[in-house]
Amino acid sequence: MKAYWNRHSERIMWGLFLASACVCVLAVAAICIFLVANGLPFFTQYPVGAFLTGTEWAPLRNVFGILPMIVGSFYVTFGALLLGAPVGILTAVLMAYFAGSRVVKVMKPCVALLAGIPSVVYGFFGVMLLVPLVRTTLGGTGKSVLVASVLLGIMILPTIIQTAEAALNAVPRPYYEASLALGASHEGSVFRVMLPAARSGIMSGIVLAIGRAIGETMAIIMVAGNNPRMPGDILKGVRTLTVNVLMEMGYAADLHEESLIATGLVLFVIVMAVNFLFSFMNKRRALQ
Amino acid sequence: MNLRKILSLMLALVAVMSLTLTASAFDTAKEIAVVSREEGSGTRSAFIELTGVMTKVDGVEMDNTYAEADFVSGTSLVMTTVESNEYAIGYASLSSVLQNDAVVAVPVNGVTPSAESILDGTYPIARPFNIVTKGELTDELARDFMAFVLSVQGQEIVAEDGLVPVSTEETQEYKPQNLKGTLVVGGSTSVAPVIELLKEAYEELNPDVEVDVQSTGSSAGVTGALDGTYALGMASRDLKDSELEAGALPVVIGVDGIALIKNPANPIADLSLEQVRAIFTGEIRTWSELGE
Repeated sequence: MKAYWNRHSERIMWGLFLASACVCVLAVAAICIFLVANGLPFFTQYPVGAFLTGTEWAPLRNVFGILPMIVGSFYVTFGALLLGAPVGILTAVLMAYFAGSRVVKVMKPCVALLAGIPSVVYGFFGVMLLVPLVRTTLGGTGKSVLVASVLLGIMILPTIIQTAEAALNAVPRPYYEASLALGASHEGSVFRVMLPAARSGIMSGIVLAIGRAIGETMAIIMVAGNNPRMPGDILKGVRTLTVNVLMEMGYAADLHEESLIATGLVLFVIVMAVNFLFSFMNKRRALQ
Repeated sequence: MNLRKILSLMLALVAVMSLTLTASAFDTAKEIAVVSREEGSGTRSAFIELTGVMTKVDGVEMDNTYAEADFVSGTSLVMTTVESNEYAIGYASLSSVLQNDAVVAVPVNGVTPSAESILDGTYPIARPFNIVTKGELTDELARDFMAFVLSVQGQEIVAEDGLVPVSTEETQEYKPQNLKGTLVVGGSTSVAPVIELLKEAYEELNPDVEVDVQSTGSSAGVTGALDGTYALGMASRDLKDSELEAGALPVVIGVDGIALIKNPANPIADLSLEQVRAIFTGEIRTWSELGE
């Protein structure tokens, strides 16, 4: 037995590593195949154009238009970026260049903790605090694009802060020193030299955050009102693609169920596109 | 300077908080916050059918639920939403509403929803709870559990839960058969609570049997019963033709009333069925339009 192990350990371990690597690849492949195999048959019964550009969602009458949900997903994600991107980038700048090591020691675990909070807890926070706050101060029912965006904006903060901070720290120190030597202030050097130098890293962090925001479900379903019609007013409700799938999956049957899998397929394609954008930007950064 | 800034910030925060917390008197000029279940929910399809929110145009069923309603998935979320907003109105199974003191059932056409008012037909919004099997039951354990559900003891539990029992004079006493094994029951989230109660009583009589109750939704319950995932499926709606053709066999175990629920701070005392329909289609938008 021992002799066997000695002779073949190299190959056995190689096989083990290969098998481990395969789990990830196989999972992605299986999900792809499942989504395509189960999502595509829907389009033999329902035209793709009507599905993607239809503005009415009425499963009872077999009318499935997901344009409101596509627009809703982007609407809420854009709102989240409006809040999350500036706050996240400025936090990263603070942690990289302005705060003392003691402040950073507190901030880092805080950011990591923010990333670790389950989305259903964010949802509770939103529904118990933000929704009543918006209802009493701004009107409406409170379940709105606004609350969903603010909540998502908070949820994507860790992604943006962590990637932006890493990008800022990766900028060579001599850039900063050269800027100071030319007579620029500390602030000027940070904002005019270091931040632009880290731009592509920060951008890829934002793209990663977009992927996170588009895919978020549980927190959104609790605060968004989930109205399946074209979104508009930021104080009114909105339904995203993810919510559409989760919300109706439990009770859907027949064509309705297939339409939800097709919704998942559309979501998958969008997230894949965002990920390709991310790796494309990384590649360009590597070339630079 | 810094201290003053911090102080004024804290004051602003306190002002906002107190604005949120001090419940002012009920303002009837405010919009009604309509809370609806999601598409496909058994409760929703029963509700829109029974109240007339659903209309038939040339044989096509139209769900006219107000587009600006707050759509939530799950009975408990409907109740949480109504609990947290005094201008909200929603609907849920009477059995779930009776277990929750934070929301109040609104009488419809002057009738308070209760087992009695549903049984005598005066309360207008009611629906059947089904147990679904694939064809006639062959599994001994599943058959025994069904016998218990439809027995005198089982129907007592159904009645205690706020449902209207289907028992008649011919309903028999249940006698344990000393069976062993595991039984998986799955489906409607509305039916699950009463099945949980039945399961507890059944397991007490049959210590060697374990009943596993999974709440997944009516459609999942029927599908599960058909493909064998569940020995018994639960559905809180009538079965679709496609499901019946596939061999699904429903047995009514009780009738559930759907209660309209409001926040305790809401003074509205009674609604007509027509008003309920108008609220949930968005024809009536504010509480003042309902009159006194």
